[in-house]
Amino acid sequence: MSSDPTPILEVAGLVKHFPVRKGVLQRVVGHVRAVDGVDLHLAQGETLALVGESGCGKSTLGRLVLRLIEATDGSIRFEGRDVRALGDRELRGLRSRMQIIFQDPYASLNPTMTVGDMIAEPMMLHGAGNAAERRRRVEEILGLVGLSPYHARRFPHEFSGGQRQRIGIARALAGEPRLIVADEPVSALDVSIQAQVINLMRDLQRRFGLSYILISHGLAVVKHVADRVAVMYLGKIVEIGDKRAVFARPRHPYTQALLAAIPIPDPTLKRQRALLEGDVPSPLNPPAGCRFHTRCAFAQARCRSEEPLLEATEPENAKGGHQVACHFWRDVPAMAPIAAGIDADPVLVRLQGFFSSRGRDDRATALASGPARS
Amino acid sequence: MSETAAPLLEVRNLKTYFRSEEGLSRAVDGVDLALPRGRTLCLVGESGCGKSVTALTIMGLVPQPPGQIAAGAILFEGRNLLGFDRDQMNALRGDRIAMIFQEPMTSLNPAFTIGDQITEVILRHRKVGPAEARTRAIEMLRRVRIPAPEQRIDEYPHKLSGGMRQRAMIAMALALDPQLLIADEPTTALDVTIQAQILELLRELRAEFGMSLLLITHDLGVVAEVADEVAVMYAGRVVERADVATLFRRPGHPYTIGLMASIPKLTVDQDELPVVEGTVPNPTMQPEGCRFHPRCPFAIDACRATDPALTAIAPGHEVACLRAPLEQHVL
Repeated sequence: MSSDPTPILEVAGLVKHFPVRKGVLQRVVGHVRAVDGVDLHLAQGETLALVGESGCGKSTLGRLVLRLIEATDGSIRFEGRDVRALGDRELRGLRSRMQIIFQDPYASLNPTMTVGDMIAEPMMLHGAGNAAERRRRVEEILGLVGLSPYHARRFPHEFSGGQRQRIGIARALAGEPRLIVADEPVSALDVSIQAQVINLMRDLQRRFGLSYILISHGLAVVKHVADRVAVMYLGKIVEIGDKRAVFARPRHPYTQALLAAIPIPDPTLKRQRALLEGDVPSPLNPPAGCRFHTRCAFAQARCRSEEPLLEATEPENAKGGHQVACHFWRDVPAMAPIAAGIDADPVLVRLQGFFSSRGRDDRATALASGPARS
Repeated sequence: MSETAAPLLEVRNLKTYFRSEEGLSRAVDGVDLALPRGRTLCLVGESGCGKSVTALTIMGLVPQPPGQIAAGAILFEGRNLLGFDRDQMNALRGDRIAMIFQEPMTSLNPAFTIGDQITEVILRHRKVGPAEARTRAIEMLRRVRIPAPEQRIDEYPHKLSGGMRQRAMIAMALALDPQLLIADEPTTALDVTIQAQILELLRELRAEFGMSLLLITHDLGVVAEVADEVAVMYAGRVVERADVATLFRRPGHPYTIGLMASIPKLTVDQDELPVVEGTVPNPTMQPEGCRFHPRCPFAIDACRATDPALTAIAPGHEVACLRAPLEQHVL
């Protein structure tokens, strides 16, 4: 996707430390450094994926950007305005333009409200339109997410998981947002339903020029959906860049380890891979120097003492290009590319094609031939 | 594997139903499985396909009522488990057959150390003293690659990370050297780098202990990593059975093909993801004929009327589809 010269979102030096309290006096005994100095930008119509394992700070970062939680330090500019400086009233005005969808749509939907009321609620709060106009708008939005007008009168428990996620998306769309933070939007859904929701999000993005921050641990989903990828580890971005660059030539040992760990649905691929040892250290007390050094196969003395900064891998494309935070990224061997395997099998490709929208259009002709097995 | 040897576990025409306010839910509705000794069988399918209920039925853990085993046989080492009484099942469970679950925190008792919980299993089933049981528990923790097992054995579950807890669960499950380990989504709650560690561990332990593994998952990536044999379930039925290489190379059932198609691929750039339209049917109202026909791009009139049985399309490859082999009929 083309990158707009003025980003819709710019984040600089963002920090969130959560105090940890203990004892009857609830004294602060330490801080969880959930997000610890993050810079990023997002263009209009672009999807930036935040990837990383539990506790890396990706969800906290998403909530900080929307100011659902207050940052400890740093700046957030959305459409040129300083989000952290806004008063309550201004923030509410901005909220309709910055929305969030969650992993578990059921937990995020009010079980006592009809779907129509839920979608209309933001319009009512912002005083948009009269009842008839709002109902028309609700029906229009339901249509956009692939639901029917009669669904407006139903309650969340009457829907399947995939439909609930469509409702979550519909509610986010009601305020005509420019930016949607999608926090693991398909992780709780079945595989066949995931694809439906992913396609829907992409269609909506193209139609309305939405910008997405996609928070996900599913790297295959990220590869499919994102324009750029930021890999996080213990509150820091360790690698960021164009999706193609990051997936084709991952530079950071952690990015490589994440990619190597994905189980690929193809038993014909014999991958040699180095598995990461141990667990992610506690963000309460992250390792000194490079936070990844305790699990890194390439760590040297310098990594234990000196924290690496993000550095451009192509100096001619310093800002917005591929950046990696590793002292020794030049020495880290390139990963062998993943071979296409069964994905290139012509028979499989043709059979799978029947499940694409083009395949569905061609269905009538395909079904004319072939007898049933007796 | 010798083809003639009787499988360790064989499930024949199993039907497990549940009574509910909405009617009779046919969660498992005629399932056939065979798990040879020393092999890994993956049971794959989406929510509500009946894969977990199948496992719980094998373990004798389906509450009756509301559940009822309406038909079938579960042959383990040649004996039908459905004829076992409570004492016989209790003696079998944990000893010959063990099970691990998705979320170790809900299976481990937070009030006891992991050592207490592993030694309890050993003391209950074996005539050994506490000291010997403890030694065995430490040995088990070592075998699941928990570092410093002599110290870890006295820790409570909440002190362990998710990956370490799953290792402790596996240690407990394997403490009595079972013939069969049933693992229900054992890595679904774990991060991807930890998942890779646990899958590797399960592979190694299956060989070390010479046991058979029945692994239940929704993730075709996990299947490709660990399975020898695969059974794909849809709407309470097994719709396809094959060895893992055949299943991925020449999937025969439209549902298997659609599942594979709808996963985003790391190696291929696609603009739009193929989609299996619609949703899984409600288990109280299964469609007539083939249960997949409302979502199937290959369906013909006969599919609406005839419920297809599992039929071999090649040696060791069975598909429940009137239109199999598809490549001959539609390409």
